[in-house]
Amino acid sequence: MEQVVVHPERCVGCMQCMIACATAHSKTHHLFTAVQEDPLPKPRVHVGAGIHGEGFPNRCRHCDPAPCMQACLPGAISRAPETNTVVIDPDTCINCASCAMACPFGVIRYHEDSAAPPGKTVAVKCDNCMGRQKKGLIPACVEVCKSGALTFEEPASALGRKTQEVARSMSRDAGGEPIAPGFALLNAVKRSQVELETR
Amino acid sequence: MLEDVEKRTITEDGRLMLEKAEKDRIETVWDRYAAQLPQCGYCEMGLSCRICNMGPCRVDPFGEGPQQGVCGADADIIVARNLGRMVAAGAAAHSDHGRDLVEVLAAVAEGKAPGYGIADIEKLKRVAAEYGIETDGKPPLAVAGALADAMMGDFGTRKKALSMVSRAPSKRQELWRKTGIMPRGIDRETSEMMHRTHMGVDNGWQSLLLHALRNALSDGWGGSMIATEVSDILFGTPKPSGNTVNVGVLKADQVNIVVHGHNPVVSEMLLQACQSPDIIELAKAKGAAGINLAGLCCTGNELLMRHGIPMAGNHLMTELVIATGAVDMMLVDYQCIMPSLGKTAACYHTLMISTSDKARFPGMTHREFHPDNARNLARDLVKEAVENFGRRGRVYIPVEPVPSLGGFSVEAILGALGGTPEPFLEAVKAGRIRGAVGIVGCNNPKIKHDYGHVNLTRQLIENDILVLDTGCAAIANAKAGFKVAKAIEYAGPGLKAICGALGIPPVLHMGSCVDNVRILVLVSALADSLGCDISDLPVAGAAPEWYSEKAVSIGAYFVASGVYTVLGPMPPIAGSMNVVKLLTEGLDGVVGATFAVEPDPGKAGILIRRHIESKRKKLGLDTRSV
Amino acid sequence: MKYVIIGSGVAGIHAAEAIRHRDREGDITLIGDETSPPYCRPMISMVLEGTTPPERLPIRGKDFYRRLAITPILGRRVSEIDVEASIVRLPGLEDGIPFDRLLIASGADPRPIAASGLHLANIFYMRTERHVREMLDAIPTVKTALVLGGGLVGFKAAYGLLRRGIRVTQLIRSAYPLSMQVDRTAGEMILGELLRKGLDVRVGLSAAAFDGNGRVEGVRFSDGSEIACDMVVIGKGVLPALSFVPRDRIDVDLGVLVNAHMETSAPGIYAAGDAAEFVDIARKTRWVNAIWPEAVIQGRVAGMNMAGRPVSLKGSLSRNVIRIFDMDVMTGGWVDPPDNAGFEVLSRFDHRRKTYRKLVLDGRRLVGMVMVNDIAQGGLLISLIQSETSLPISGNALVSPGFNYRQLLH
Repeated sequence: MEQVVVHPERCVGCMQCMIACATAHSKTHHLFTAVQEDPLPKPRVHVGAGIHGEGFPNRCRHCDPAPCMQACLPGAISRAPETNTVVIDPDTCINCASCAMACPFGVIRYHEDSAAPPGKTVAVKCDNCMGRQKKGLIPACVEVCKSGALTFEEPASALGRKTQEVARSMSRDAGGEPIAPGFALLNAVKRSQVELETR
Repeated sequence: MLEDVEKRTITEDGRLMLEKAEKDRIETVWDRYAAQLPQCGYCEMGLSCRICNMGPCRVDPFGEGPQQGVCGADADIIVARNLGRMVAAGAAAHSDHGRDLVEVLAAVAEGKAPGYGIADIEKLKRVAAEYGIETDGKPPLAVAGALADAMMGDFGTRKKALSMVSRAPSKRQELWRKTGIMPRGIDRETSEMMHRTHMGVDNGWQSLLLHALRNALSDGWGGSMIATEVSDILFGTPKPSGNTVNVGVLKADQVNIVVHGHNPVVSEMLLQACQSPDIIELAKAKGAAGINLAGLCCTGNELLMRHGIPMAGNHLMTELVIATGAVDMMLVDYQCIMPSLGKTAACYHTLMISTSDKARFPGMTHREFHPDNARNLARDLVKEAVENFGRRGRVYIPVEPVPSLGGFSVEAILGALGGTPEPFLEAVKAGRIRGAVGIVGCNNPKIKHDYGHVNLTRQLIENDILVLDTGCAAIANAKAGFKVAKAIEYAGPGLKAICGALGIPPVLHMGSCVDNVRILVLVSALADSLGCDISDLPVAGAAPEWYSEKAVSIGAYFVASGVYTVLGPMPPIAGSMNVVKLLTEGLDGVVGATFAVEPDPGKAGILIRRHIESKRKKLGLDTRSV
Repeated sequence: MKYVIIGSGVAGIHAAEAIRHRDREGDITLIGDETSPPYCRPMISMVLEGTTPPERLPIRGKDFYRRLAITPILGRRVSEIDVEASIVRLPGLEDGIPFDRLLIASGADPRPIAASGLHLANIFYMRTERHVREMLDAIPTVKTALVLGGGLVGFKAAYGLLRRGIRVTQLIRSAYPLSMQVDRTAGEMILGELLRKGLDVRVGLSAAAFDGNGRVEGVRFSDGSEIACDMVVIGKGVLPALSFVPRDRIDVDLGVLVNAHMETSAPGIYAAGDAAEFVDIARKTRWVNAIWPEAVIQGRVAGMNMAGRPVSLKGSLSRNVIRIFDMDVMTGGWVDPPDNAGFEVLSRFDHRRKTYRKLVLDGRRLVGMVMVNDIAQGGLLISLIQSETSLPISGNALVSPGFNYRQLLH
């Protein structure tokens, strides 16, 4: 089954995935009007900074078994097997935050949402853009990521590519240029700047 | 908490004021920087373009997403265009600053600028002569009027080369002409840069960068140079004098007025008002022991250089000085003034005044200065500051100020050397002094505050290299104690001996950021003495903590003038390895100098020392291994 | 295979599901003393509070037992386990119920207090949905309530009653509520929030006697003072309900001792949930962590083991998340170790963001955490405690506002 695969080494921290995600989960589905809505739509993917200022799109892994599902008191969290999505039902959710306590990745947030009963604060997390997938579209975050940090593919293909990369790096004549020397240069400078902080 | 504070600055007053800001719940530039992380990699690499409405566009550095903008520009072009516009903005800022001074000079000539006058008639005549103006028998005001008029000519379309380009060694001028980067007009080059970077104009990444060098030269040998020279003419050419530095320059028992921004056009008038006996009486009647004027950033540097006025801090300290609760009024004009200051001041009794018609700020009261009203407005404002003295809450000034020696204009340095650069050159030839380095530029929360400046300076002077500094870097080094007589203890034996004999510190404070042109004038004089080009000299430049577009322009005009320049933070160029290669290697064949990027001051020092030794070798002088 | 499960709480339910998932044929008998369908015990405090309707309490459908082919024996308590004969005995059931695999998931009962007048009406414990149903019946005529205890139950009772607009006096032993879950700083923040919302707190007092005519009308405290009250909730902790466990055959301390497979000292007999005592990952010693998520996972693992799949658990961990008016608190692990335990404590109060963070570190191993406000990513810290990962970054980074998962990756 095709799933969203994250390639952290490619994230440039532009946060376009966040904007696209919030827009895709808004009422009007258009950026300029989405930002006028009440409640204001919010992203389900969260780009955080690493220690050296690197970007990372932190999203729900749709774990199996899902710690959040096991922790949920009213049983508001279930699995939709067609897309392997762990889904939170906003009507059943009681905003107790037990899921946040259980989630080892910190991907759940609590706020009002257009999918929830008006005025109710609920737990919100990535839903694999199930609505979009039903219409034959790919998840919004993947659609806008231009650096290849988020892809929508069979995990086996992504892992296959990774295997090739690792295999190639093992060969005797390996050790060539990184795929993006400019990005490697930028990251080296940023690492140096952070390292100076604690000297 | 303490860990964070230690990571942010090396300065004691900075650390204590950060703790105070934390207690007072003041948001600082460091908090806002942390909230911005991760910063967008496209923009960090110069790979995003917002120049036209077919965009906005970005290029994927990993080679899979889009490789061109909608117009077809590739990474090289996008990076070069972005860098070009940074130079244009920086050059424009300096040049506008120069323009405002020329207008004051013209107003002085017409008798329409009460409070302003000609402080250095000799310099007026010397510079006028450079512009081909006859000065014999002419009264100074008439010369001033003619000079202002002639300088205005440098801003436009009339010329094939800026007037003061003639100060550069003839070899350097010839190189600029041959390379096609001779600056013709100050506004012209900036305007052409904006034109070239418009969609569908200059799509040669090399030609864009060459024009960027020309634009920068129109700043260095044009706008900034005019700014410095006219400032010297109007307000006096700096001579060495003592001053003090850090937050401790604020006084608990005096009315504290802080000037921030750049143009001495404003700060000089405030100084006059602060020194008026009647207003001082007013302050005493209010229970203050006197009126204490202190500076921040470049306008503070201008006052420090000419009058020994103390400096409260550099760029990253500007919010923190307000947190002392001791600032009765802060007046700003333009450049490097954070729009957060009004919000910070609202937590204290501090009155915030904006003075430039070009620069408004949230939370500040606007009181506009012009040449005709400046003197009176300054007096009114100082009186209001005195009134505000009584509204202070708790005052926290946790340090004692550090003494420092400043005022090293080229005239002053040559004066200290006995009138010519010969003694210095002798020391260089003998190897007792290896060379000289200009350490310039701002602060940036990406680099631990003052860490870059101070550590680079220390390494260089330890290795017998004279350091000339300006801007925020100069304040960092003054705070670190490098500008007192006994600072020669930090210097290597050769530098120590020379500075000791001359009675100067091993680090010479040359002024504000426009005063970087003083370094250009000095290295030109050295090159002329040796009969070579600037690029042959054992000199280098460094901007270890730069942040502003002005710094990009300065770095570019230094390199274009033949000075190898090491930057701390990397500019947004990593998106094009072609551009990176040209700037860090290729330019050597074009202008005889390059950039380097190295945030670690220890490593930057080694790069500079190796460069200096290699220049020495080419001159046939002795070398050391690094 | 005959499986017998003592307890219809969440540990028993998850064990039954785990067994049935692996063994379609075996007999499963489940004995519980509550007759309502399986429900979420922590949610009863939200029913008291009024934010959740009682209909939301059940966690499985009414046909749960039938669907999984479980034989339920409800409304009864076990009287004895005959370990020799592998039989569970109930009063009135002559032959008892034989078992091949037994699970003790009998939960815990409220700890009783010594005071006179406990027979009066409107004096409640708060453990079951029935307790809360009865409280809700009484509430329309209640103006003032007394809550005994500052632990989780007492706290939730006081909070729920306050939210219902009732004047509440709470007696707590320590200087601040939830002293087993939070440290002093967080505890005082919580107390402050409650006091601001009108809670009356008395420290160090206990109730000596309840007075009234048929129903409670007042209370006399240990210091001789008195107040009027028309409802009392006793939340002085819980004790594992183990009267039926033969301590000469099965090792019991506070709870039934279990190993990593949830098996007791008697082979074939397992324990899970509030009745079990298992090694605590943070404390590195046996402990009873009587919380919902532990009951869930322990029940599941016990069931898997009973059905022949030898899954093991590393240990248990204390953890809690509570929303108190405008303040959110999450805690995990060993939050208040003694000073001589050799741990490093890192705390940070951010006045601007109104957040409090505290970490307890054993070298590079995170042992305990407290978060007040901005708790959404707290699970990251809890999982670090559970996995006992050697921290790849400084404690300072963990408590900084920008902390996120990326910083834990290499």
